[in-house]
Amino acid sequence: MNQFRKTLLGLSTAVCIMGLTAAAQADTLKIALAGPATGPVAQYGDMQKIGVMAAIEDINKAGGVNGMMLEGVIYDDACDPKQAVAVANKIVNDGITQVVGHLCSSSTEPAADIYEEEGVLMITAASTSPSITEKGYKMVFRTIGLDSLQGSMAAQYILNTAKPARVAVIHDKQQYGEGLATAVRDQLAENGVKAVMFEGVTPGDKDFSALIAKLKKENVDFVYYGGYHPELGLILRQSAEKGFDAQFMGPEGVVNSDLAKIAGDAAEGVLATAPKSFDQNPVNEARVAAIKAKGEDPTGPFVFTAYAAVEVMTDAMEATKSTDSEALADYIRSHDFDTAIGKVKYDEKGDLTESTFLVYRLHKDGSKTPAE
Amino acid sequence: MSEFSLYLLQQLINGLTIGSTYALIAIGYTMVYGIIGMINFAHGEIYMIGSYVTFIVIAGLLGMGMVSLPIILIIALVVAMFIASTYGWTIERVAYRPLRGSNRLIPLISAIGMSIFLQNFVVLSQGSRDVALPPQITGGWNFGDPSVFEVSLSYMQVLIFIITFISMTLLTLFISRSRMGRACRACSEDLGMTNLLGIDTNKIIALTFIVGAALAAIAGLLLGLYYGVVNPFVGFIAGLKAFTAAVLGGIGSIPGAVLGGLILGVTEAMTSAFFPSEYKDVVSFGLLVLILLFRPSGLLGKPEVEKV
Repeated sequence: MNQFRKTLLGLSTAVCIMGLTAAAQADTLKIALAGPATGPVAQYGDMQKIGVMAAIEDINKAGGVNGMMLEGVIYDDACDPKQAVAVANKIVNDGITQVVGHLCSSSTEPAADIYEEEGVLMITAASTSPSITEKGYKMVFRTIGLDSLQGSMAAQYILNTAKPARVAVIHDKQQYGEGLATAVRDQLAENGVKAVMFEGVTPGDKDFSALIAKLKKENVDFVYYGGYHPELGLILRQSAEKGFDAQFMGPEGVVNSDLAKIAGDAAEGVLATAPKSFDQNPVNEARVAAIKAKGEDPTGPFVFTAYAAVEVMTDAMEATKSTDSEALADYIRSHDFDTAIGKVKYDEKGDLTESTFLVYRLHKDGSKTPAE
Repeated sequence: MSEFSLYLLQQLINGLTIGSTYALIAIGYTMVYGIIGMINFAHGEIYMIGSYVTFIVIAGLLGMGMVSLPIILIIALVVAMFIASTYGWTIERVAYRPLRGSNRLIPLISAIGMSIFLQNFVVLSQGSRDVALPPQITGGWNFGDPSVFEVSLSYMQVLIFIITFISMTLLTLFISRSRMGRACRACSEDLGMTNLLGIDTNKIIALTFIVGAALAAIAGLLLGLYYGVVNPFVGFIAGLKAFTAAVLGGIGSIPGAVLGGLILGVTEAMTSAFFPSEYKDVVSFGLLVLILLFRPSGLLGKPEVEKV
């Protein structure tokens, strides 16, 4: 027991001294890291933490920013909008002016209001809801693409790469699927490609033989499906059985290893738009190795978007030689950044001009590779 | 043949396939209604359980290294029919028999409760995600000029037709020729009188649930193999469709259930064929409303029709 107390005392003394030295040097810059550290989606918060901490470590190793060392401070909002507001106020009171976060769109939205008012720079690495940047905020940015970008990305791929003769657009009549399908159809139409079919299926349905016979009769050679994997899996499986071999394409909602379980061999070669796997990018090889060396997982979808968020902030600080968040926000909006997720450039609203999604080809073993 | 007629033929095949399985499930509804005048709302869940048992047995036998597909299917069919029948018998015992003679609404509610219970029981024990089985019976016949329109008839579809036909024939023979079948017919005519004449009506009612459940298990096996996917919620939609088929054909009449199932299946396929497929259910259920308006007893639901 005594031994334990001694250790405890020693530890706390060490912490005090460290704190004192930090204060004495006064060249530490705190970056708040807001997201769920607890609660049901804490694993996403971990991804963000892994990315931010890795970025801070790398930057500090390279001498810090403008002679200051970075320090990441974790604030837990548990992905709860009420806690997110409390956390945002606490960050403001603690005098921190740069935030990476929040994670869940529902938390990011109310928190963004507070940061905008208090002049705190916020970059979210995970929130994809379009409404966050629709209010004309000055201080709010992202390092992740919007859900709605997937539709236009798919349409571009169909127009420029796949170039099919007859396209059908099928959806599951739900907000996500029909929204994407409509976006694809409209963008194809704008470019002079008219979808020969635009139809909905009922989610939970098991029999698509009538639909497939119709696709076959219309000589369709490319099908875009807006929806999730259970229905697409069955459509693929039944298409194979009925000798209908068109190229299928879907959104992120179909990218799931269950697709291959349901469709079997028919899942081979299906196209899908999905967030880029930045850990596969050779540029990030050293970073991936460093994260793995710490025993952490670099493959999460938000690890490198969080890494990039820190890079954008620190690049702006170095270029402007200041930590004034208003100046930083102006700089970020008007400049390009070279980050772990590639070139980053912002539009007026604070959204990325280029999507962080990529077209992938899915395989029957559940893996995916970038489409040619 | 022209493209149109080939396309029509293809959609007819699709419609008859799905219609046959609606018919198999619909018989369970119609038999129970014919005898005790009640709707067994837990019947769709029996179908779902039949599918799950099939999947588990097939996956288990394949895992044990058995290769002969016909033997695997026969074992799966027997096990699924046995387990589903046990569930059918238990439902009657737990949710119907204690309530016999009470207000008709009460067993109806207890059957809905049973349905919710079974669904959640499967969610808890098997998980709520789709369970998939790799295709077991592949291939089929293709005919028609490929440059015009190729009609495909898969072996699986043929198997569905054959098994449905055999089951229907056996059931008809059972009802019309056997002693038990005669007792069933007597019960459907007058339950009280049959009881007075010394027939154990409780046993006959239990038998009805068992036979209905066994047929639902056959449908579970066939559709499970055909689609290759099952989840705990398939029973609800399938049950609703089969119930519609039973009402369409005239509830209480076995030929009516078969006819209703086929009509429903073909209507769905034809609607999807010539209109956007989201109108499929609108048209099928619209048809149901129309038939009920002009023929409230259903297509074959006349009093002189043999009821079970």
